[in-house]
Amino acid sequence: MKNLLYKEFKLATHPTTYLFLSFGLMLLIPNYPGYVGFFYICLSIFFVFLTGRENRDIFFTVSLPIKKTDAVKARCMMIAIIELVQILIAIPFAFIGNSINPAGNLAGIETNVAFFGFVFMMFSIYNIVFIPLFYKTTYKIGIPFLFGGIAFGLFYVLVEMLVWIPSSIQTFLDTTNPAIMLQQIPILIIGIIIWFAVWIITYKKAASNFEKVDI
Amino acid sequence: MEILSVENLCKNYEKFALKNVSFSLDQGFIMGFIGRNGAGKTTTLKSMMRLVHPNSGTVTILGKNFAEDEFYCKQKIGFVLGGVDYYPKKKLKTITNVTKRFFPEWDDEKYQSLLNRFDLDSEKRIDELSAGMRVKYSLALALSHNAELLILDEPTSGLDPVSRDDLLCLFQDLIEDGEHSILFSTHITSDLEKCADFITYIKNGEIIACTDKDTFIETYRLVQGPVEELNPNLSSKLIGVRKHKFGFEALIKTIDLPMVARIEVSAANLEAIMVHIERE
Repeated sequence: MKNLLYKEFKLATHPTTYLFLSFGLMLLIPNYPGYVGFFYICLSIFFVFLTGRENRDIFFTVSLPIKKTDAVKARCMMIAIIELVQILIAIPFAFIGNSINPAGNLAGIETNVAFFGFVFMMFSIYNIVFIPLFYKTTYKIGIPFLFGGIAFGLFYVLVEMLVWIPSSIQTFLDTTNPAIMLQQIPILIIGIIIWFAVWIITYKKAASNFEKVDI
Repeated sequence: MEILSVENLCKNYEKFALKNVSFSLDQGFIMGFIGRNGAGKTTTLKSMMRLVHPNSGTVTILGKNFAEDEFYCKQKIGFVLGGVDYYPKKKLKTITNVTKRFFPEWDDEKYQSLLNRFDLDSEKRIDELSAGMRVKYSLALALSHNAELLILDEPTSGLDPVSRDDLLCLFQDLIEDGEHSILFSTHITSDLEKCADFITYIKNGEIIACTDKDTFIETYRLVQGPVEELNPNLSSKLIGVRKHKFGFEALIKTIDLPMVARIEVSAANLEAIMVHIERE
């Protein structure tokens, strides 16, 4: 697996991935929807698969002495790593952004603990739609990305609605009050658990799809 | 010793099927896998490597079942579809650096000597290599991980005559140690005339011949004569008859050779055999 991961990062990772990782910086933009920066990572995942197809990555990979399922596992692990790194990079910018924009974010949810929990959930939704759908054919990439993007977008609208419609939920979610942020920790934990559980399901479904594909 | 055995390989598609493909190859020989475009050569090779899922059949490499010992078998095989055409914008050294990690028997010294022998510059990108050089690079990779069986799908396609000849000479050099064997598919019959020891002929997904080259060529004769000689008895034995204004031309099995004075018999070459068989 170590060798396959090396291959993923050495050959398969698209250069924009490293650029988009820095888009945690977008959390510094005043009054800007914070989830947008994270969608760029979904876009870079799409680029990885797109350039992989053009570079005949799958043929190269399965010609190596490996199991087909491990090829999928390595790709899923690479995606998990870049998603995690994206979140880790974004966390300090969330703190900085909140301190330099004390008026808060008028364009959506504050970048707080719950926000990151929702980001984990968004990544889960994108992963489980896009990745298994790609491995059904290994050549159709636009449709999986379209569906993945729609799923990501619908969840985005749903969680943003929670902070737009006045309610106790809005008060609970749309704040950077440290005491309330502590109470938001369960949302973050649930987000991480969902992300991890969905990662396993995504890998298994994608590997099972890939097993059936003739290359 | 048998290095490769394929038994009853079947793969069904909607409009095409591989039907009980069986053949075998001993160590130290070159086998040409011949057939026209669409005959099933690439499908057979991909099914052997389990890149496509055969419906049934067994592939054995050095006595081990490919389906059960895929890791071992892939270590022993260098499989190349055409030349290296993956990651064309990456340098050779980058591809090599990734590839070698997967092969415990990787030999760096051997790799360097092969680069020198093939005049390959590891600083070059894949897309800077000519078609012939790409095949050589794939051979360098395969030989450096001690692959004993090289399975090459149309390695000479698109090469100029000099590069083709160069590559075919290289194939012969490679098998001289008696340890390496080559199975290569092609529809260029002159390649096989030059270097194949054995011929496996596939037509419409079925193997119609698997024998040593000389026997295969000796099995057939070219016949030509006036159309008046084409009686039902003779016609039933002819393969791929072509009539023209001066008479007819066809292939016939040597054992069916007619004793007719007005029919001219000559030796067939692989191209003539292929053309007439495919015309049938």
